[in-house]
Amino acid sequence: MPPRKKRSSTAENEVDKPKKRLCSKKSADSSFSVKRCTTWFKTYCSAENDGSIGPDGMEKFCKDLGVEPENIVMLVLAYRMEAKHMGYFTLNEWLKGMTYLQCDSIEKLNRKFDVLNASLSDSVTFRNVYRFAFEFSLENGIRSLDKTTAIELMNLLLDGRWSLSKEFMQFLEQSKFKGMNKDQWYNVYEFSHHILPDLSNYDEDGAWPVLLDEFVEWHRQRSNKTSETGVDC
Amino acid sequence: MSGISKGGKKDTKMRIRAFPITMDEKYVNNIWALLKNAIQEIQKKNNSGLSFEELYRNAYTMVLHKHGEKLYTGLREVVTEHLINKVRVEVVDALRNNFLQVLNSAWNDHQTSMVMIRDILMYMDRVYVQQNNVENVYNLGLMIFRDQIIRFPLVHSHLRDTLLTMVAKERKGEVVDRGSVKNACKMLMILGIDSRSVYEEDFEKPFLIQSAEFYRLESEKFLAENSASVYIKKVEARILEEAERATHYLDKSTEEPIVKVLEDELIRKHMKTIVEMENSGVVHMLKNNKSEDLACMYKLFCRVPDGLRTMCDCISAYLREQGKALVTEDDNGTNAITFIQSLLDLKDRFDHFLHESFSNDRLFKQMISSDFEHFINLNPRSPEYLSLFIDDRLRKGVKGMSEQEIENVLDKSMVLFRFLQEKDVFERYYKQHLAKRLLLNKSVSDDSEKNMISKLKTECGCQFTSKLEGMFKDMTVSNTIMEEFKHHLQQSVTNLNGVELYVRVLTTGFWPFQSSLSKCNMPSAPNMAFEAFRRFYLGKHSGRQLSLQPQHGSADLHATFFGIKRANTGPMDLVDEGAASSSGKSLRRHIIQVSTYHMVILMLFNKKESWSYDEIKNETDIPERDLMRALQSLALGKITQRVLSKDPKTKDIEPDHMFTVNDQFTSKLFRVKIQSVATKGDTEPERNETRNKVDEDRKHEIEAAIVRIMKARKRLQHNVLVAEVTEQLKARFLPSPVVIKKRIEGLIEREYLSRTAEDRKIYTYVA
Repeated sequence: MPPRKKRSSTAENEVDKPKKRLCSKKSADSSFSVKRCTTWFKTYCSAENDGSIGPDGMEKFCKDLGVEPENIVMLVLAYRMEAKHMGYFTLNEWLKGMTYLQCDSIEKLNRKFDVLNASLSDSVTFRNVYRFAFEFSLENGIRSLDKTTAIELMNLLLDGRWSLSKEFMQFLEQSKFKGMNKDQWYNVYEFSHHILPDLSNYDEDGAWPVLLDEFVEWHRQRSNKTSETGVDC
Repeated sequence: MSGISKGGKKDTKMRIRAFPITMDEKYVNNIWALLKNAIQEIQKKNNSGLSFEELYRNAYTMVLHKHGEKLYTGLREVVTEHLINKVRVEVVDALRNNFLQVLNSAWNDHQTSMVMIRDILMYMDRVYVQQNNVENVYNLGLMIFRDQIIRFPLVHSHLRDTLLTMVAKERKGEVVDRGSVKNACKMLMILGIDSRSVYEEDFEKPFLIQSAEFYRLESEKFLAENSASVYIKKVEARILEEAERATHYLDKSTEEPIVKVLEDELIRKHMKTIVEMENSGVVHMLKNNKSEDLACMYKLFCRVPDGLRTMCDCISAYLREQGKALVTEDDNGTNAITFIQSLLDLKDRFDHFLHESFSNDRLFKQMISSDFEHFINLNPRSPEYLSLFIDDRLRKGVKGMSEQEIENVLDKSMVLFRFLQEKDVFERYYKQHLAKRLLLNKSVSDDSEKNMISKLKTECGCQFTSKLEGMFKDMTVSNTIMEEFKHHLQQSVTNLNGVELYVRVLTTGFWPFQSSLSKCNMPSAPNMAFEAFRRFYLGKHSGRQLSLQPQHGSADLHATFFGIKRANTGPMDLVDEGAASSSGKSLRRHIIQVSTYHMVILMLFNKKESWSYDEIKNETDIPERDLMRALQSLALGKITQRVLSKDPKTKDIEPDHMFTVNDQFTSKLFRVKIQSVATKGDTEPERNETRNKVDEDRKHEIEAAIVRIMKARKRLQHNVLVAEVTEQLKARFLPSPVVIKKRIEGLIEREYLSRTAEDRKIYTYVA
């Protein structure tokens, strides 16, 4: 079945052999094409990365998009691609993500930005992205995130979404822990989601990782100190 | 008038006819008048002239002809009138004069007359009373008496007051007329008819109130004047007195309530005061071993609720204080033996009290146990000390205790062991001490050792003791191997160069040493001998590895000291060499018993006269710490032990200090044992090391427990898991929930467990 052509303007010449799967319903100007997508992919990939997009390609990609590599949108994108390693996209991953978004060019992707950003307000999606971010950021063979990366990543994800995120970062900075494992990572999100900012509903028997118990204690001690000085004034 | 109708003859038609159905009014009145008169006579005690049969018949007639009511009412009137107008007047008159006697006789008279009246009116009782559900004659009489006499205000109050006054007098010690009180009480009881309510209302209640007041005052007086033990005895006496009073002349049923009142006033309200009395309370009794006084107090306090608990709490506080004082570390360094011995003595003391004074009451037993458990665990070194204590008792040369005595001591030590929370720390130390005992051949008897192990086994299960038993087995097996080795030597005519070798083969894993990686350089002679053994052993057991443990061996050395050399002291010294050598004492031979390290060091001096510390270190490869210790005991110990001399003669050891054989060495003994500079019990760094090892082991044990539980249950909530783990491990130590949580996290990371998706508080086992 030939793809239905709506009022097409640009990039019409790129319509290729009909692929039944690719019914473009969304695209206003042109429909999605795998070939175009793949070609687009190839502009970034390099031979030295086994045909995947490597760090250099990534940089170029981001520049083209007009976003910094640390932008959270990139993370969402990677999530949609189910990318395995930070800084690398394989062709399969690329296609998977771009197909989901129905984008085969920079312009289309740009337009999808808002959608991508908006998707984070859905808590289920956000949770998935959050969880995905951990594995994505792991170094090869190591099971925990080192301190700096963890703090950065967490900041990216939680800043603005969790009232205690700044305090938590401070806590992590001054604490002696060296790496965060998956369980702790997941639980921080749950914590931010369920526990009130004044920690009033925090229960010691809640099976929270010890890291979070320590955070609560640290935070409470600090609040006590500030409240004391407040009284003195 | 005995004119009973001959009614039957009137009516000839009907022959068989009962009595006339109606009687005329007049007739009835006549009968009644007759009866009334009779009753009055009876009441006047003039009954002798009456005919029972006639009266009975009259009453019978009346009732039969349906005049029962008239009779009944009439009876009531007569009795009432008599009691009011006659009896009461008498009683009131006697208010100030023989009141009780008068009352009593009135009562007796009344009873007697009522009996007689009842007899006469028995038909009415049976028929009219039954049919009309009224009180029978006798009871009616009682009620009238009660209402008209006893409950007459004047009499009522006076009776009560009289009785109470008499009791009060007797309590003060005066003699009173018990009989009349008894009678009065009996009367009141009877007047209640089917209940004791009259007695209770009129006497018992006010009696109890008055008694309570009396004893309240008395208790305060007693307490102020007396010590606890005297007070208790007085209370006991009073209780007996009141019980006896109730039995003898009040009503028996009063015994219980009055005793209760006493218990309440004298004991319960003052429990704490008595127990805590300065210089005479429980603490004083405990301090001065007053078991009898304690027993009295115990018996007394048994009577009131919470009495025993109050005593128990006070004793517990004292015991905890004593215990705490004993387990606090002494600034001068705690001696493990005295530490444990003092705890055993304390336990003995309190067991004695438990037995003598508290008749093995379970509450007290539990209190003692929990207190001991509390304070023995206040000091984290208790397990170490206990092991040292047992070690001391099992070693040779303990002042001639018999086997039985040793057994007793061990049993008591086991009691203390049960109180320990950190049993795994004890296990570690016990293993170390046992190893030393076995290797140095220091136990008093193998039987005692085995006994101790079986006690531990009963207490903790075989996992605890399997390694200990392994150590014993190693010893026996080693003996056998040595036999075979000797045999082998003879057969193969191997020469060990004069070295008599004794090897003990220890199975790694049973013994608490880490395999020493340090190989010190053995001197050639013993080394060769050992190699011969090694070949022999490995020939028998291929696939095994033998490694020499130089830090645990010992050696006997033949030593020759070449006499008293006169040192070159100065120009004025005219040395008479000849004199010295001719004394014949110049050459001294001794056998020195030393450790392996000592041997290695000493044998160096066969090669060279003097060695510096550094040289010794390089030559022997002995680890620094052990080398220091060894040289200290050889050169810086007691004079009788200084086999080596050090130059310079300072107390410390520097790398450039020189060591030589002390040729001036003398000793009275031929066999000289060089003591190691070993401290009893761990030093600070060693203790930390042990503690670290214990913590490591605990981590593994906790993880093993978690995995075990999760494997069985598949899914568990966090709290439940923590509780189960604690339960499983508490026989060895008490894990804290935080530590358990950390271990759970570790297991999650290593993917033994995971959290369920629905509820992050529930874990599942990952197969």
